[in-house]
Amino acid sequence: MSQSLRPYLTAVRYSLEAALTLSNFSSLEVERHNRPEVEVPNTSAELLLQPMHISRNENEQVLIEPSVNSVRVSIKVKQADEIEHILVHKFTRFLEHSAESFYVLRRTAMPGYSISFLITNKHTESMKTGKLVDFIIEFMEEVDKEISEIKLFLNARARFVAEAYLGEFVY
Amino acid sequence: MLQLQPQNLLVQKTFGEAVEAFRDGNPLTLDRIVSDFDSTTLHISNAEGNKGLLYLSIRTRAWSSVQRCGSSGGLEEFLEAKYKTQPGVSVASTVESGYDYTLEVDLNVLQPESVVQLSLIKTLVLSYPFQLAFDEFAQLSNTPDSQSQTLHTVQYRDDENLFIKPANDRITAIFETAFQDETDKVFGKVFLQEFVDARKRNRAIQSAPQVLFSHEPPLEIQAHLQANRTLDSSRRFVTFVLFPRHFQTPELQFSTISQLTLFRNYFHYHIKCSKAYMHSRMRFRVDSFIKVLNRAKLDDEDDEDEEQVSHTRRTITGRKVVY
Amino acid sequence: MDNWRRIDIDAFDPESGRLSAQDLIPPNETVVTLQELQPKISQLRSLASSGSMDSAVKLATSDPPYGADNSTKATYFQAVLEALTQVRQSDIANIIQQLSSEQQDVLVKYLYKGMSVPEGQKQGGILLAWFEKLTQKAGVNPIVRYLSDRRTI
Repeated sequence: MSQSLRPYLTAVRYSLEAALTLSNFSSLEVERHNRPEVEVPNTSAELLLQPMHISRNENEQVLIEPSVNSVRVSIKVKQADEIEHILVHKFTRFLEHSAESFYVLRRTAMPGYSISFLITNKHTESMKTGKLVDFIIEFMEEVDKEISEIKLFLNARARFVAEAYLGEFVY
Repeated sequence: MLQLQPQNLLVQKTFGEAVEAFRDGNPLTLDRIVSDFDSTTLHISNAEGNKGLLYLSIRTRAWSSVQRCGSSGGLEEFLEAKYKTQPGVSVASTVESGYDYTLEVDLNVLQPESVVQLSLIKTLVLSYPFQLAFDEFAQLSNTPDSQSQTLHTVQYRDDENLFIKPANDRITAIFETAFQDETDKVFGKVFLQEFVDARKRNRAIQSAPQVLFSHEPPLEIQAHLQANRTLDSSRRFVTFVLFPRHFQTPELQFSTISQLTLFRNYFHYHIKCSKAYMHSRMRFRVDSFIKVLNRAKLDDEDDEDEEQVSHTRRTITGRKVVY
Repeated sequence: MDNWRRIDIDAFDPESGRLSAQDLIPPNETVVTLQELQPKISQLRSLASSGSMDSAVKLATSDPPYGADNSTKATYFQAVLEALTQVRQSDIANIIQQLSSEQQDVLVKYLYKGMSVPEGQKQGGILLAWFEKLTQKAGVNPIVRYLSDRRTI
């Protein structure tokens, strides 16, 4: 792991551990409703906690918005050039399409971020909090790795294809 | 499958089957439409009342522009000359309506080599302007300081063109291409850059044609393009510079032409392949993420320790009682 | 107005009983103006430029201007950020050892704030180093206190 990635992931891990102390909380506005308070921000400021920004640089950031019964984690994945931009876009779209089996994935990302997770008290009650944090951390690690691997593959394939084509002209 | 083949496999197979069935005594009734790259359609059908006689018709987007490259009737003569030598193949007296060119095939005398030639018909149509360029090159190379004013334009797709420009020491083939899809545009840039760099990097293919890539129209066709239409910025120009070593003999000429005419198809085919690979890879990765997430789930069976078991009530069938 | 059905009419009702972010700021904070803060900022700058980083950080993290308005806070924050980013990576752990628990809490606030603005994001590496050393010393505690503290810097 590179030198500056480790503190970044540590910071995210500690911040998530602190934020993932959720409890069941019924809506103050509507009877018999129980909704993630972080998603209904303009009704109840007292239920929202201080948001946490963690950034490695301008292109890699995590925003954790905690509230009394839910936490929203938005991740901005590194996009150095337009190929990475396309790859990140495709990949996050892929994930969002299968959000049903991801439980904690928010179906759309927050504006300015690549992908968002929404963890509610339902999730922390049915899953181990530590493993949930592990999942987010592993996700952040793997996404970067995956994107750069696909990019390398694309270049390698382009090179191979070009050489194979031009090789046909060698007599 | 790395390389695309210049012949149309389905045409080849259809004629193979037709010949075989005809020899066995129960000839096929055929009315088959075969598609090829770049809005090309081939139609194979029986002659009326004679099952030993087949018609092969072709319609292609490039036909009218290829026809304009030479003198009137030049393209038909060129194709006729190519097929005259094949036993069993002749030019039909009338062109099938809706198609550009029709060949008549007599199954009685058709040879396997002729079947191959039939399946190459699209490549042969596109090779006509190249042939004209080769001929002109031969004249030009005898007179060192001469300049050619010829510029053959083949419009092989609605908004993409191929320009062929002979000179006294080389022939330049310029593809004008545009990408519809944003992703293709970016991937295309990566691929095209590799085409440009491949020759510099790999010594084994030093003798391949030089490839150039630009956003601006190359000098050879600038005047022509400016005279004809406004340019938009999404255009890309890929130039292949052919030197005499690439078209010294008819065999070399044919192989060069068939490679060049397949350039766009080859290139787009591999972009699509890369995308398909990416998709399957991402799908796999999504699955692996789901596995990691599932590790976080509380498994009821694992978490039951001694004291909890006593609290879990079960029915006689073993179901848990949920409160 | 085509999305009038989406208007939250309760927000316009003064009797709705809702709290806004302003209502949550603890009362009885002494109001600090830029003039009052200016000596502290210049002291911070001079400490940072003279190289006594430990006292600069200690000064920055004690008695932060909770009661100031946003522009004053921003000016003060700039000075703190400069001081924090001037510290060498190897000195960070040492300085954190000398901070009291209250100072650590304030330091966490400045770190999160630093990473939320573009100037701090450029220095993401050093802020993350601070963060890592702080969590090594104090664990998750200052972060939990940060979450529930309504006083902003």
